Amino acid sequence: MTVVGTSHEELEELRAAVRSFLEAKSSEEAVRKAAETELRYDPQVWAQMAEQLRLPGLIVPEEYGGDGFGQVALGVVLEEAGRALLCSPLFATVVLAAQALLASGDHEACARHLPGIAAGRTTAALAVAEDSGAWDPVQIRTRAVRAQEDGSNGWELTGSKSFVVDGASAELLLVIARTTAGPSLFAVDGKAPGVTAEAMETLDATRAMARLRLDAAPATLVGTDGAGGRLMARVLDSAVVGLAAEQVGGAGRCLDASAEYARTRTQFGRAIGTFQAVKHKCADMLVQVELARAVAREAARIADEGGEPGEFAATAAAAHVYCSRAFMSAAMENIQVHGGIGFTWEHPAHLYFRRAKSSQLMFGGPSAQHERFLERLGI
Amino acid sequence: MAHDTDVPDPAAFAAEVRAFLDAHARPAADRAGFVWGEGDDRVAYFSSDPPEVEQAATQAARDWQRTRYENGFGWITGPKEYGGRGLTPVHDMVYDAVEAEYDVPDTGVLAVVGLGMIGPTILAHARQHIKDHWLPAMYRGDAIACQLFSEPDAGSDLASVQTRAVRDGDTWVLNGQKVWTSVAHHSRIGVALTRTNPDAPKHKGITAFLVDMTTPGVEVRPLRQMTGGADFNEVFLTDVRVPDDHRLGEVDGGWTVALTTLMNERATVGNEGAGPVAAALSPERLAALLRATWTLDDHAVRARLADLLADIKATEALNARAMRSLRAGHSPGPEMSVSKLMYGQNLTRAAHFVTDVLGPSAVADTGQWGTYAWSELLLATPALRILGGTEEIMKNILAERVLGLPKEPGIDTKSPFRELRGVRTKEGSA
Repeated sequence: MTVVGTSHEELEELRAAVRSFLEAKSSEEAVRKAAETELRYDPQVWAQMAEQLRLPGLIVPEEYGGDGFGQVALGVVLEEAGRALLCSPLFATVVLAAQALLASGDHEACARHLPGIAAGRTTAALAVAEDSGAWDPVQIRTRAVRAQEDGSNGWELTGSKSFVVDGASAELLLVIARTTAGPSLFAVDGKAPGVTAEAMETLDATRAMARLRLDAAPATLVGTDGAGGRLMARVLDSAVVGLAAEQVGGAGRCLDASAEYARTRTQFGRAIGTFQAVKHKCADMLVQVELARAVAREAARIADEGGEPGEFAATAAAAHVYCSRAFMSAAMENIQVHGGIGFTWEHPAHLYFRRAKSSQLMFGGPSAQHERFLERLGI
Repeated sequence: MAHDTDVPDPAAFAAEVRAFLDAHARPAADRAGFVWGEGDDRVAYFSSDPPEVEQAATQAARDWQRTRYENGFGWITGPKEYGGRGLTPVHDMVYDAVEAEYDVPDTGVLAVVGLGMIGPTILAHARQHIKDHWLPAMYRGDAIACQLFSEPDAGSDLASVQTRAVRDGDTWVLNGQKVWTSVAHHSRIGVALTRTNPDAPKHKGITAFLVDMTTPGVEVRPLRQMTGGADFNEVFLTDVRVPDDHRLGEVDGGWTVALTTLMNERATVGNEGAGPVAAALSPERLAALLRATWTLDDHAVRARLADLLADIKATEALNARAMRSLRAGHSPGPEMSVSKLMYGQNLTRAAHFVTDVLGPSAVADTGQWGTYAWSELLLATPALRILGGTEEIMKNILAERVLGLPKEPGIDTKSPFRELRGVRTKEGSA
């Protein structure tokens, strides 16, 4: 059961708790350190996120050991995670994998995997895209065949996946592969024979990605055979709403940094924020951040409370287009406002620039986002 | 008027509104039933109607406002002693939402400036007898009101007004020139900002008056815009005598009065999201246009359309959230200024997008329905980025009040106005 109608006060409490946790655990120094490790996150921090804040189980229904909150509450957490550039398996495990399990409607698979995810014991990844990076059912080439002809539920997957977020470290892999019935979702143990995961070099070191090679890897079907196309569309809708929240947080942080610098940095004997050229740049960033925040939160609200038919899909896609653009623009302008120091390695501005571009290009990039948005508006 | 003294809950109020509208208006044509090529294809922000058509529309607006007033819907949030209903902004929104489903005259000529900005200003700053007389007259549709603020040398720098008001016993004598005055040619009253003390700093020597527009010496000259229409006016004030009891607020305290109006102005302009122009920006209407002009498959056109619609959707989300937050009793944040900015920008981008797609059909009228019609909106867009506070002023407000950035140095709020004028003249001749 999804608990909806969480009060404004409860959400602000959640925000304050997550923010103070991240101030302590995801400082710029911590982010830089985590991004240099092989895992790309600090397992201790992840364990604390589970124990102290119960974040991995936030949207997992109570029957599977979670707290059953909705997208609005998850959005609050992701805004804060985006602000802090948190390196963690939260996005891969909760926003992608847990949502895929829930969207599959497979009670048995949910009962098997979600309690571990909710408790923070299991990290998971969702492997969809292949070499092109597209989230398009037509482009799925990875094949699934039955392991035995006796009708038992064992399958074997063969093929390769790319751009799999946290794919090298995840204990559980959820993989879209093609059967004779069409694209379908499978669960694969990350350590199973026939699975090779190789970390990819990434533009944004705070979000790990991997290439997976599957060579007759043993797998279990999740949900209905051939239902993968519809499932991908549903997961993508909720994932882009989650991503939008993260982007809002990142953009907001860029805006705050720019405003702070414009207030304090002096040139020609006055604060640079007194010059309209700089002041208006900051105001433009504010406008975009406010709009991004509004459309991202509105999409999350509709996900929880419902709306007119098609309203969620259209608003989610609008949030994806708008927030991708707003974060990228805020990250670029933040470097501009900071003058020469903004593009140095030591300054954190480039970390946001990398995250913004990489996020904008996730799930197919702007042209795919545009088409998806227009399609959802019936155009 | 005998109305229930209790505050009805929104659902009960909506039912009451519906009963009123069923009795006095017809349901609007179904917007979802939009068919390309049928009906009125105009997409205009400003009117370009001939004067007799405009007069008739103004009369229809007055009549509808009177009907509303007589049925208790003329001033939903206003105090009962002045003919209001004493309800909340939520009830106002409920009324607007229900009325949008009906085909009623556009009351913008009364509402945008008069009821939206001047009414609250009079309520906050006028003497008792002015309120008793003019507030009911305004909300009953009898007295259209205008804002005599801007001058040729006081646009964005509104505190630089030079129209003089000199005391003569119990009256004041006003001399000067106002400009950009919307609906002055229909107005019975106006609120004027005047300079009463040139020796005080510029914000401190201003006084506001309620001016009866029929007073001798008030001359209204329409200003023709690039759209061909005349929505604004110049107003010349020559030895206009205004009684002291028509003063709003304190002598030399007019800046406070102006701020009341300006705050309401930003809320009003940003809220004009509904209406025929907004309908023109609907995804289905834009898609129909592109289909009719064989451009919907063009990749570059689709990318631009998606970007434009994302801006529009995000603005809608912002407005929806602002309303919901208002309804929950929170005061509005920076949303209003953002919304005002986006209103002008979205229409500007849309008009350029559509006319770029149309190409030659936007340059000259081919007779094809719904194409050249967009040129009317295009020609209004430069004004949209300026009226009600320029984009630059709105950005200064956002940067200074929301982000806390420092003000520009050299803005002199301490020297006597007389000396500032001297400085400006020297700079101007350099």
